[in-house]
Amino acid sequence: MRALIEFKDVCKYYYMGETVVKAADGISFQVFQGEFVAIVGQSGSGKSTCMNIIGCLDVPSDGTYLLDGRDVGQMNKNELAEIRNELLGFIFQQYNLLPKLNLLENVEVPLMYAGVPKKERRERAKVALELVGLGDKMKHKPNELSGGQQQRVSIARALVGEPSVILADEPTGALDSRTGREVLALLQELHAAGHTVVLITHDNSIAVQAQRIIRLEDGHVIYDGPADAPEAVVTPRAAGGFGGVPS
Amino acid sequence: MSILESVELALKNIVSSKTRTLLTMLGIIIGVAAVIVIVGLGNGLEQYVTDSFSDMGTNTLTVSVMSRGSTRSLSVDDMYEIVEENSEYLDLCSPIAPMGGYVKIGSETISSTSVQGVSEDYFEISGDTVAKGRGLQYSDMASRSKVCVIGAYLDLACFGGNAVGETLRVGGQSLTVVGVLEQTDEDLEEGGADDCLYLPYSTASRISGEISSYTITMRDEDHIDESVAALENALYAVFASDDYYTVTSMAEMLDTMTSMINILVGVLAGIAAISLVVGGIGIMNIMLVSVTERTREIGIRKSLGAKERYIMEQFVIEAACTSALGGVIGILLGDVLSVVATQVVAQLMEETLTVAPTLGAVLMAFGISVGIGILFGYLPAKKAARLNPIDALHYD
Repeated sequence: MRALIEFKDVCKYYYMGETVVKAADGISFQVFQGEFVAIVGQSGSGKSTCMNIIGCLDVPSDGTYLLDGRDVGQMNKNELAEIRNELLGFIFQQYNLLPKLNLLENVEVPLMYAGVPKKERRERAKVALELVGLGDKMKHKPNELSGGQQQRVSIARALVGEPSVILADEPTGALDSRTGREVLALLQELHAAGHTVVLITHDNSIAVQAQRIIRLEDGHVIYDGPADAPEAVVTPRAAGGFGGVPS
Repeated sequence: MSILESVELALKNIVSSKTRTLLTMLGIIIGVAAVIVIVGLGNGLEQYVTDSFSDMGTNTLTVSVMSRGSTRSLSVDDMYEIVEENSEYLDLCSPIAPMGGYVKIGSETISSTSVQGVSEDYFEISGDTVAKGRGLQYSDMASRSKVCVIGAYLDLACFGGNAVGETLRVGGQSLTVVGVLEQTDEDLEEGGADDCLYLPYSTASRISGEISSYTITMRDEDHIDESVAALENALYAVFASDDYYTVTSMAEMLDTMTSMINILVGVLAGIAAISLVVGGIGIMNIMLVSVTERTREIGIRKSLGAKERYIMEQFVIEAACTSALGGVIGILLGDVLSVVATQVVAQLMEETLTVAPTLGAVLMAFGISVGIGILFGYLPAKKAARLNPIDALHYD
């Protein structure tokens, strides 16, 4: 199997005046083609930093990140934009659809930036919307839809460019539990269809839906293994004492 | 992503916030309309002046002689001689002897009529034609005949159109009307171009006066400078000083008038163009607000793979489209205002002054408005393109 995502000692530092915040402090892991991985951690664990780096929205301060064999740390803004367009499909907590465009146009956006001709774009966007079960609402605006439907549109948008990795950042965070389950089921379908899915969440009950869990704490990886192992869902902080206050 | 799609996207955004777009465009609309009306007005004015001058003939030179105080003087014969000697440049000559006073017809006194003593060549110089009777002849000059030729107004107003053969009095001298000139103005009116009377200069100088100037035509309008120089040289030889005469060419006067009008129009158009700049700043202002409002959209687009160039392009094109649209509306408004201005001028001044926007002015106004959009859209667009995608995505 080929490693699609490869983190080697990735560090990210933020400078706040005199103090240096180490948001990621030597994170290493690999994600292989066709995997469904959940990156879990409490807020401040470094999972957002991880997500930004995986998503090529940010570059590591130190260490290397290889996406599909390419070293992202060495790329300029334009190359990063191209990589995001070609290799990554984003699903956000807040859906992040463009309110003025209808569903079809929303799904077309990544293809537009990829330079796909208009007619082909339209066809592919239609297919993607039908896949998520919204083939009958193509001309609607996002605000005419429920949260679950909007999230499905954003999944269609993530899929339409046929990216190598689908990156879902708290995709159920803004949804009630029933529609959240529907969205997760859709992600599992995508995984079953051969897509590589990386799910970022703070919620263990969501993370266990994945195949494999990478748990982060204070910028370090503290667990990397199958989601069904008992230690996958144990939070060491909680194990240390009531309230989870770190020592 | 093609430019055409960017334009489509920009128009979609413009249409989705009509009121704001209209307010943004207002400065450009007013600026473009003002420039078009002012340039149109300038053109109308220039045309009007040119027309008035060409009535008088742009190939004429006027020599004014102020012989008082000089020991030397210039007789009519001297002047004719000078013209003769320089016949390579100069053609016809007529002394002009303006006369004050009244024209008396029967018991009626008319003070509005312009009375001038002229030579037999005068009507050819001025381009007037004789409609009834005859013009002035050389023999009238030589014999100081007590005859005159009158304008169409006098003929109609005082003689009911049958002036030829009638008599009238100028400065106490009785003159017989031998001819009536063709009407030159559209309307016959008191004090107008058709309210005139011409008599032989020799008769005129006997009655009251002084020959104040000479009107001379040139053989070739392309040799104005040479013609003027020839005349001045000859006159200098007579007076031995250049204090006692002036030579003016109608063409030069026309040039002077035209360039004055052009300067005036240029200054006014420049002032109007300031509002174009103000309009541009308005566009920049709104675009900056728009960038802030759409920070999240920019973040989303960037996360989906939009390069800085595309974001930049989107905002610049949007600004350019806004100002171009403003430019088009301004052009239409300017055209409408030009028509209105023409009507107003016609009402107020009883003159036909056509406010005519030129294609050049229209194209320039449009070009400038698009240019201003691009210029003032650049800064906000740059700001949008530079946004950090992570911050932009989490902006509320």
